[in-house]
Amino acid sequence: MRRPRFAISSVVWLTLGAAYFVIPLAATLLFSLQSGKNYSYNLSAYGQVIHDEEFWKTLRLSVVLSLETILISLVLLVPTAYWVHLKLPRVRPYIEFLTILPFVVPPIILVVGLLKFYNGTVHAPLWFLESPYAFLGSAYVVLAFPYVYRSLDAGFRAIDIHTLTEASQSLGAPWRTTLARVIIPNIRAAALAGAFLTLAIVMGEFTIASLALFTTFPTYINLVNSQQVYEAAALSLISFGITWAAMIGLLAFGGGPGRRRAAAGAAD
Amino acid sequence: MGSEGPRRLGHLVTAVSAEVERPGPNGSGRRRPSLAWLGVVPFFAYATAFLLLPSAVVLIGAFQDAEGGFTTKNVSEVIHTPQYRHAFQTSIEISLVTAVVGGLFGLLMAYAAVRAGTPRIFRHGLTTFSGVAANFAGVPLAFAFIATLGTLGIVTKFLDNHFGINIYQHGFSLFTFTGVSIVYLYFQIPLMILVIAPALDGLRTEWREASANLGGSSFQYWRHVGIPVLLPSILGAAILLFGNSFAAYATAYALTGGAVNLVPLIIGQNIGGDVLSNPHLSEALAFGMIVVIGVSMVLYALLHRRASRWMR
Amino acid sequence: MPDDWANYVEIKSTFKKKYGLELADEDPQASSGAEVQAIISLKGQSRAPDVVDVGPGFAVGPANDGLYAKYFNTNFKTVPRAMKDGRGFWTGDYTGVIAFGANLSVANRVPTSWADVLSSDFNAKIALNDDPRKANAAFSGVFSAALANGGSLNDITPGIDYFARLAKAGKFQPINVTPQTVASGQTPVTIDWDYNQLGYRKTYTNFKWAVTIPKTGAYAGYYCQAINATAPHPWAARLWEEFLFSDQGQLLWLKGFTHPARFDDLLKRNVVPKALLDALPPASLYAGAKVASLGQISRAKAIVAAQWGPKVLGA
Repeated sequence: MRRPRFAISSVVWLTLGAAYFVIPLAATLLFSLQSGKNYSYNLSAYGQVIHDEEFWKTLRLSVVLSLETILISLVLLVPTAYWVHLKLPRVRPYIEFLTILPFVVPPIILVVGLLKFYNGTVHAPLWFLESPYAFLGSAYVVLAFPYVYRSLDAGFRAIDIHTLTEASQSLGAPWRTTLARVIIPNIRAAALAGAFLTLAIVMGEFTIASLALFTTFPTYINLVNSQQVYEAAALSLISFGITWAAMIGLLAFGGGPGRRRAAAGAAD
Repeated sequence: MGSEGPRRLGHLVTAVSAEVERPGPNGSGRRRPSLAWLGVVPFFAYATAFLLLPSAVVLIGAFQDAEGGFTTKNVSEVIHTPQYRHAFQTSIEISLVTAVVGGLFGLLMAYAAVRAGTPRIFRHGLTTFSGVAANFAGVPLAFAFIATLGTLGIVTKFLDNHFGINIYQHGFSLFTFTGVSIVYLYFQIPLMILVIAPALDGLRTEWREASANLGGSSFQYWRHVGIPVLLPSILGAAILLFGNSFAAYATAYALTGGAVNLVPLIIGQNIGGDVLSNPHLSEALAFGMIVVIGVSMVLYALLHRRASRWMR
Repeated sequence: MPDDWANYVEIKSTFKKKYGLELADEDPQASSGAEVQAIISLKGQSRAPDVVDVGPGFAVGPANDGLYAKYFNTNFKTVPRAMKDGRGFWTGDYTGVIAFGANLSVANRVPTSWADVLSSDFNAKIALNDDPRKANAAFSGVFSAALANGGSLNDITPGIDYFARLAKAGKFQPINVTPQTVASGQTPVTIDWDYNQLGYRKTYTNFKWAVTIPKTGAYAGYYCQAINATAPHPWAARLWEEFLFSDQGQLLWLKGFTHPARFDDLLKRNVVPKALLDALPPASLYAGAKVASLGQISRAKAIVAAQWGPKVLGA
């Protein structure tokens, strides 16, 4: 069979798309370089950002928060998706409803509800309310539900879970081993896809963090934007670059044949 | 192909179990269902604690008055005040426009990157970029567009200097409904790409070949095979885009400071702003948002069933 | 309390050097309403604010609700009566007057009056620094325009009408103003408190930034220091207030281009360095500045909330 060619229409659309997405970034870049006298070019804005210790502090916080969110979501949703596929198909509609709900209840409402409930209705312990890893992390896991569950769901659908489980069991393996040694390696790619989206969400989430009065990387970016000129533009690009690099890293870490297998079966 | 591994194992196991009585270790035939329930309890508990209860608190608050008694005054105030009605109207319009336009362009770009002839690097590049761009919002995005399409933006100046067309003199402004929509597409299109790419993977090349072999044109392939298969996913994605746009807060504020009347902006003003007002009013507004998005979800569920019916 | 607002950066660092206590700012950009909200939402947490700097509209109400602690700092007596709470719940800290600022690489000059903005040979568009229904400084800008156009402290509608005229002439930009939008030329001319505009000369280093106070319609506003009744560090909070109202603190505020609350007292005792006085705009421009009472402010706010959208934004 003749190898399919790179279609002209593909080139057109990808180029148009690239133009729309790259030009605003280029405009920001040009602006960030103009901090010299009379708008002459230099890199001082970038230097300022790198030397700001708040930059590193909030970046570290947001990265750790992302990893925490990924971990908790996977721990909650991998077994859930597994049991739904294996044993409890009747529970599926409820789970799907709950994982769609974060779209119906937008972040701005979720934060109002969380604050009202845990501050007012239930007097949650102070360590929970004060810590970004506790309060904010819990909210972020909820935001990640739809993406992580969808990926895992597609991943589980792509493998024949009943057969794998039975095979493993008939070979004498207990549940824990089945889960760890047979199931998880097969959905690794789907889990990584979910993790990838969660990382981007947490690194970009502003509404909840700012209304709940926490200082994260996105709120730091917002602050710099209101106080400084060229550093703000430099910071936007740096943050875009960091998140993109992290995604590429995750992709490289998890990529390969596994990815194609999960993706191939992931028809909605 | 990737799925052969488990399938071969499956054949082996089926052959084995045909000869051997299925063992029931620990009488698990009876205990398995209860074990399975335990597996999903953590999720339900978490969802209840951090999603259902907080949402319920807001919904109940929408119907409370200052003393805590039941009232529909807040909701009726939302419905009857022109400013709020107008905000809902504008929010819905922007969400529809960006869902449709974003969905269309997202689909075209995703297909261009995913289809057979395109080098894989475009797909990886596009997916990772979309992951970041879908969450690039707020002040950085707003300024990126001000620097591009603002009164002194590079594209504005380019068009003026090289083609003599001053878009602002022709009535365009970045700080209107149109401008905000253009900016919103920056995260709507990537979201579409992320959501529709896996579904596009499901379009087997064999189908395309089969259609060609039977003498069908490209148009016929799409009309009779491609689009029908994709329709449930496209509809689902469009609803997602609608909800995403409806809920967007930081970008609209950063761009217009409140000049374009949108519901999340009003809620934001009431929560942390200088407007000392009835907090239950913001909850009533939130209730309105939930109703709008909820209705769109129900519509999606209905359309999804219809669209997937032929596949059963 | 942003670093670039009224020289807070130097005030905070001097306080730290003198007493070894660091003032942590959770959200420097918080509006007055958000500051009060923080006291309520973060109650009992160690993250709760110890002190707030809020507009008078947010001083009286919360004081009556018991959110603030009573404290008479040592220099309380020399703060003008109109700027303090007799019960000791809040003390006015500094005043400022609404001023224009212009990026001269885009605008051909900085407007000298409200009428000048409308004049045909003024080429640039003007912006308030936020939505007047939401932010105190922007609201005060509308009041200033009202005073210059036949209005009074009891009648803000001429101000709203003025902005409606500006919008119709295509000279008003109701968009969110940030330092980048000023530097990039998108919002070359802005309306804000004089101490902010003057302070921005330090931020806008690579183009010429000019500031004037409008010839007519000078409108003054003040901010108030209050201590959180449930402050996590109540004694540090009181020490901070002592510092702010001491001569040293007040002069640092003067360095930030504000007129500190005890300005007249400082002048009388001849403790103000000439250099600081010279750095301020001419006193004549401040002479007729009017300050609105709390009743006038709340009435005007209601009018703005009702009319701004329909008249100016067309919504």
